[in-house]
Formats: sequence, structure tokens, C-alpha cells
Amino acid sequence: MAEDLNTYTHLPLTMDPQSKSISIHPSSTLSGPQTRALETELAHLNALHRSLHSLDPPHVVPPPPIPVNPKRSAQVTKLRDSGNAEYKKQRYAQAAQFYTLGIQMALARPLWEPSQLVREEVHSLLSNRAQAHMWLQEWPEAAVDAEASVEAKRVGNAKAWFRRGKSLLEMGRLEEAREWVGKGLEVEGEEKELAELGREIERRLEGKSGAGGKEGAYGEKA
Amino acid sequence: MFSLPDWRGLVLPFAYLIVLTGTFMTFSTIYRKRKAQQSANLAPWFGPHLQRNVYLSLLHMEPENGSEKTPKVPESVLRAALLRRAVEDIHRIIQIRAAKAACSSLLQRGSIGDDLWQRFQRAEKEMEEELRDVVMEANALAPNWGQSIFQTANEIAANTVLRERLDEIQAQATQEKEWWEKRRATVRSEFMKELEGEETGTGTAPGTPVDSSSVASSPSKKKGKN
Repeated sequence: MAEDLNTYTHLPLTMDPQSKSISIHPSSTLSGPQTRALETELAHLNALHRSLHSLDPPHVVPPPPIPVNPKRSAQVTKLRDSGNAEYKKQRYAQAAQFYTLGIQMALARPLWEPSQLVREEVHSLLSNRAQAHMWLQEWPEAAVDAEASVEAKRVGNAKAWFRRGKSLLEMGRLEEAREWVGKGLEVEGEEKELAELGREIERRLEGKSGAGGKEGAYGEKA
Repeated sequence: MFSLPDWRGLVLPFAYLIVLTGTFMTFSTIYRKRKAQQSANLAPWFGPHLQRNVYLSLLHMEPENGSEKTPKVPESVLRAALLRRAVEDIHRIIQIRAAKAACSSLLQRGSIGDDLWQRFQRAEKEMEEELRDVVMEANALAPNWGQSIFQTANEIAANTVLRERLDEIQAQATQEKEWWEKRRATVRSEFMKELEGEETGTGTAPGTPVDSSSVASSPSKKKGKN
């Protein structure tokens, strides 16, 4: 019986009196894998302890997830707006940089704040950055960003589904693109542009030379 | 005179009875003991609860070799440790919930044995106790923390998973880029060949110039979005 409700396994821990960080006591007799597991856990613990210090003074423990501190949301929105402004001026590299900063800002949000909010912020930033990469014809980056965007928000994110599909198509990965767009259509229903992209991929797969309608679709979509 | 042969006659049946009951009793005690031991020895559903052990070890720190007094662990460290414990509990609750439906339907069909179900039920009961314990500890460490500690832990668990997944995906970028560089070289040479053969090639994509009409159309979309 490994765990009982009234007992626990005492672990050889020690605390640094200055930094208050916890580590394994030097006289520990734990086995290799146990030591590794404990080390990882203590690293997490110390990181969490440090991040708890960032709480605003009256709080000693993380407040309930809602309501959210609006400061960070405002910063993220600002970075996204700057990115969008650059994008409109067709300065896609600069736009991508702003989006990157925004993504970093959104992901640096303390872990106890709502994950749903992080998903919302990150999915649009990633999707926008994918779009900027597409203009720069950096297809692999665009594909990765769009995939990450879908990971952050699967449903109601047709643009990201489209952008990865398109990037895969541009890289000539037709089978992958077909599979991806197929999945996207399952999730999003018959979304018009996505369905069009799907048909185009089918055409390319059949003929491999039916490049006629491609240019038009690209301009229309992007 | 008469009693003597009677007594002798009774010895055998009595001995028989004693031996019989004795055997039964020994058998039943041993059997029951084994059974009890078995159910106590059923492998626990979850492995050792590392975070719980860390938390309790911190609460009961032993004095260092040299000094007499027990090192005082600050409450902020304990709070962090309790939060880690709550996060692990959230993972376990999720696992239990996922397993419950599967387990009960498998049990009804007879696909799994009784002992697995027993293990499961014990895990469920232990989990309840564990949650109650964490809430109590939380209230002791900060006023009313018990009400929100699991909300917080839930967000931490979800956020950690999300960030891990995103990191995993973003980690592919370098590899993808390298692949594309190589690929593009081949695509270019193919394209050149195709150009010689027919006028329109499939490899136009990487070199497609950005045409102005699409530039004009896309920012408007962007606006609509965010």
C-alpha cells in the first residue's frame, strides 16, 4: 500500500535559508529515477513559489480566476493592434514581430489566470502571424503557426485551418494538406473558402498539372 | 460398569467432531485473513502522490544535523507546495472521471474483474478524502482559500497543458524550415525543367509575386476579425 490517508512518505528535503528554495537533502538515499522525479517536482515548486511573489500585495494566494486583471489583456491587445497596423502597411515582417511580442506577452500570463482567455488571445495572434508569414512566403512558419492556432482554438477558427492547408499546399505536401483540410471541414462544417481549398487540393492531386485556378484562389483568399 | 464401554464408544465420534470443526475453523480464518490481505494489497489506482509527500515533508521538516531547532518553512513555500498538490489532484480527478464510465460499462459486461472495480472505488473514496484534506489545509494557510484553490489549480493544469502543446508545435518550426529549404531547391530545378516542357508549371507557388488586389482585400478581413 503506497499511500494511506494518514501516512505519507517522508522525503529528504532541505531549504536554502536565503532564497527559500527547496532542494533534495545531500544525504538523500533515493534511487536515480526517484531523485529525478523529485528534482523536476521541486523545480516546478520553486518556480511556482517565485511566481506567487508577483501577486499584488493584499493577495498572498492567487485570487479566483475571474475577474481577470485587465492590465495584461490591454498590453496584448495593443501589440496586436500595432501588428495589424503594420500589416495594413504591408510591412509583414514588422507585423510578425509585433505578433510575436504579443504571443510572448499572452503566454507569460500567470498560470492561474483563465486558460480560456490565453487560448482566445493566442489563437488570433498566431493566426495573424501565420498570415504575415504567408505574405512573406515563409510557408513552414505559416504552417506551424496556423497549426498552433488551431490547437489553441479548434472550433470557429476556419482561417487558421485554411492557412495551414494553404501553406501545406504551397509546399507541395498535397496528401497532408488534404487530410488537414478534411479535418478542418469536419470541425468547421462546409466553410466556403476551406471547401474551395479542399477542391483545389483534390484537383492538384488528380492532375498535378491543374494549376490554372490556383492564382485566383490565392488572391481571393489570403 | 456400564459407563466404561459407553465412554470408549463415544471417544471416536467426539474426536471426529473436534478434528472436523478444527479443520473448518483453521480453514476459514486463514481464508478470511488472506482475502482481507488481498484487498488491502490491491495495487493502488494511482502511484505515490509526490506533491502530497513534498507538502507533508515540508510541514514536518526535521532539524538539520548541527542545529537543534527545526528549520521554519515560510508559509509562502507551503502555499506553493499545496497548490502543486491541488494541481496533481486535478489531474487525478480528470483521470478518475474518464475511467469511471469506461470501468462501469466494462464491469457490467463482465470484461473486467471485481478487483479492478474495487481498486477503482477505493481510489474514488481516497480522492474525496484528499480533496477535503486539501481544502482544510488551504483554509488554514490563507482565509477562504479553500473556496478557490481548486479553481486556481484547474486553470494551472489547463494552462500548463496548453503551453506544452504550443511549445511542441512551435518546436517543429526549425525542422520544417530546414526541410523546406532543401525541398525548395528541388522544386526550383523541377520547375525549370517544367518551364522548358510546358508554359505553366506547378512550382510557381513559391515565386508567386504578391499581387495588389489581394493586398487590398486582406486588411479589411483583418479588421473584421479582431
